Amino acid sequence: MERNPMGRQLAIMRQSLFDQGYLDEQFIQLEELQDDANPNFVEEVVTLYYRDSARLILNIEQALERKPFDFNKLDDYMHQFKGSSSSIGAKKVKAESTLFREYCKSGNGEGCTRTFQQLKKEYATLRKKLEAYFQMARQAGPMETACRPK
Amino acid sequence: MQQRQQQQQEQHHFHVLAVDDSVIDRKLLEKLLKVSSYQVTCVDSGDKALEYLGLLNNLDPHSTASSFSSTSSSCSQPPQQEGLKVNLIMTDFCMPGMSGYDLLKRVKGSSWKDVPVVVMSSENVPSIISMCLEGGAEEFLLKPLQLSDLDKIQTYLLKSLHHSCTNIDKTDLIDHVDEDINNNNDDNNNNNNR
Repeated sequence: MERNPMGRQLAIMRQSLFDQGYLDEQFIQLEELQDDANPNFVEEVVTLYYRDSARLILNIEQALERKPFDFNKLDDYMHQFKGSSSSIGAKKVKAESTLFREYCKSGNGEGCTRTFQQLKKEYATLRKKLEAYFQMARQAGPMETACRPK
Repeated sequence: MQQRQQQQQEQHHFHVLAVDDSVIDRKLLEKLLKVSSYQVTCVDSGDKALEYLGLLNNLDPHSTASSFSSTSSSCSQPPQQEGLKVNLIMTDFCMPGMSGYDLLKRVKGSSWKDVPVVVMSSENVPSIISMCLEGGAEEFLLKPLQLSDLDKIQTYLLKSLHHSCTNIDKTDLIDHVDEDINNNNDDNNNNNNR
């Protein structure tokens, strides 16, 4: 079925995102919602996620610059961020969010700061990987149509 | 008879009012519902939901979202009679300002009280779940929602369809009852004069 090399490469790329723990089953839910009427739905949602969560990242960053930490506010921001991350299936990002919230609840400022750095790394890494994946999908798309047996 | 069939056809396009402050979750919910052939209206807050339902009577800027105890019954003409149809309300629990629970209570204390309300949350807190169910929510769903959750929703929508049919029957009945009362009065007058 996957005769064309691009299609196969795409499948391998996609599978590795799951195997390496970047994405969870929620991402599959997004894929299931994609149809002919909305062929770019998954990419749209991911783009919207990065656009919308940017302000939350900024809010948290600014809140971490104010001493003493307002742990309630930090937890509130992270609750929202975690929700969005969970909705797109961002597994590692979600895990860091959970950890951050635990540090908020226990009033561990150093834990918060450390975890946030790690979270931002995962957030950026996922973005790069998904951008590469969507680009590959766009390239593989028309080729797959051309290679489909008549 | 024709009118009722037409109304039943309209009701097969269930209309869901979705309330969530997260733009991602609104987009997802909208898609989930549309893919399942429902009509969807999305709003980003409890206040907007109340406005949509025509329940935002208290325009006092100083009143808090929770001070609704005395105003819940002061609703004017329910929008249902003006053609606005909402078969199901799906609301996020945790929202800034009016929470999903506050919205639930407002709806249940209004002319829209028979519309099923489903509450959603990303957190699995038993006390919150039971509070919402006791407050009149049909169901509590954990986010992120999946297509399989929509199956549960269909049950409530079918329940509301049955209720809507009953409402329409009653309306027809009331029109006929008025006629009957007039006829009876005439009969009584005739009987008295015998």
